Amino acid sequence: MILESISTILLILGAFFSLTGAIGLFRFPDFFTRVHAASVTDSIATILIIFGLILRTDFDLVTVKLLLILVFLLFTSPTASHALAKSARHGGLLTLPEIRATKKEDCSS
Amino acid sequence: MLILTATGIAILAVMALALARALKADTVYDRILGVNMFGTKTSLFIAVIGFLGGRPDFLDIAIVYALINFIGMIAVLRFFEYTATDDALKINSTKQEQL
Amino acid sequence: MTTKSGKKTVYFASWILALAAFWLLLSGYLKPLLLCFGVASVALVVLLLRHMDNIDKQPQKLPLSFAFFRYSSWLMGQIVLSSIEVTKLIWGNSKNLSPAIEKLPVTSSTGRKRVLYANSITLTPGTLSVDVDDDHVTIHALNEKSLDVLRAGKMAKKIATVPVAKN
Repeated sequence: MILESISTILLILGAFFSLTGAIGLFRFPDFFTRVHAASVTDSIATILIIFGLILRTDFDLVTVKLLLILVFLLFTSPTASHALAKSARHGGLLTLPEIRATKKEDCSS
Repeated sequence: MLILTATGIAILAVMALALARALKADTVYDRILGVNMFGTKTSLFIAVIGFLGGRPDFLDIAIVYALINFIGMIAVLRFFEYTATDDALKINSTKQEQL
Repeated sequence: MTTKSGKKTVYFASWILALAAFWLLLSGYLKPLLLCFGVASVALVVLLLRHMDNIDKQPQKLPLSFAFFRYSSWLMGQIVLSSIEVTKLIWGNSKNLSPAIEKLPVTSSTGRKRVLYANSITLTPGTLSVDVDDDHVTIHALNEKSLDVLRAGKMAKKIATVPVAKN
């Protein structure tokens, strides 16, 4: 019973954080800041939801599988974000501070 | 049971938002970001669905989905790493005018 | 020569044990036919592993250790803290954003520690490693403050204590 209520809290928090990240995708001004918003859903929301589900298992093979999903997602999602940011940078996309810097140069010259 | 349904609906909403982001994005990178989020949320959603239906076998599908999503992401990014420059330059100049 | 072949045996035995445990945990069936499939797949993976080690000459040991688990639990705490920060930024006024980008030096010598460092930076919301080369990591942060935290180098010090196999 206690486990189930803890799991309820974890699941609600996880749902809240993933919605937060999705809204951040729309509210943040440029690509690089949006990656941060996506990483909120990728890291903490995943951890909370998976742990919430783990507390609802009978602690057998299902628990191990859930932990494996968590480990896979925690290893792959930062790698994917990093690859995305790196290819955006190599593709020539500038970050906001850099755009501001070039703007200042244009004004002064 | 109710809370699992609520979580599933919340994840579905997140997936819808991510797809919307991918559809109305201005650079190809934003699109990939939305699609990646859609993919990771899908594997979580499959796990939640497995619990809702009382069929933990769904977790295997979730594992496979997570792995395939990652591999697909890396493959697509390899393809776009040095090609989408025009797109990026256009966005840079519009952002510069907005500031 | 004997110690070398002994080391090799231990190395392959540890991989076989780990793969067999992995297979059993994922399948959970103990029927003879399925067990045979399991043995066959473990044998196939170990053969592939031997072949690949012969090609790239970099045998990879299993990276499990107690220090690694301690580090990951510390990292989970960091993730929670910085997620709350980013959540505040998302729901708050977007004028509070002060995105910054900077190239920070990395002192860790082995490739694996650099990978762990860059991965941890990306995993904590609010900081994102954009580019990694031999002795620098380019970091994009939502807030100037989180860059200062990284500059102080607590995470780098924690990673230095995690024993990672050299390669």
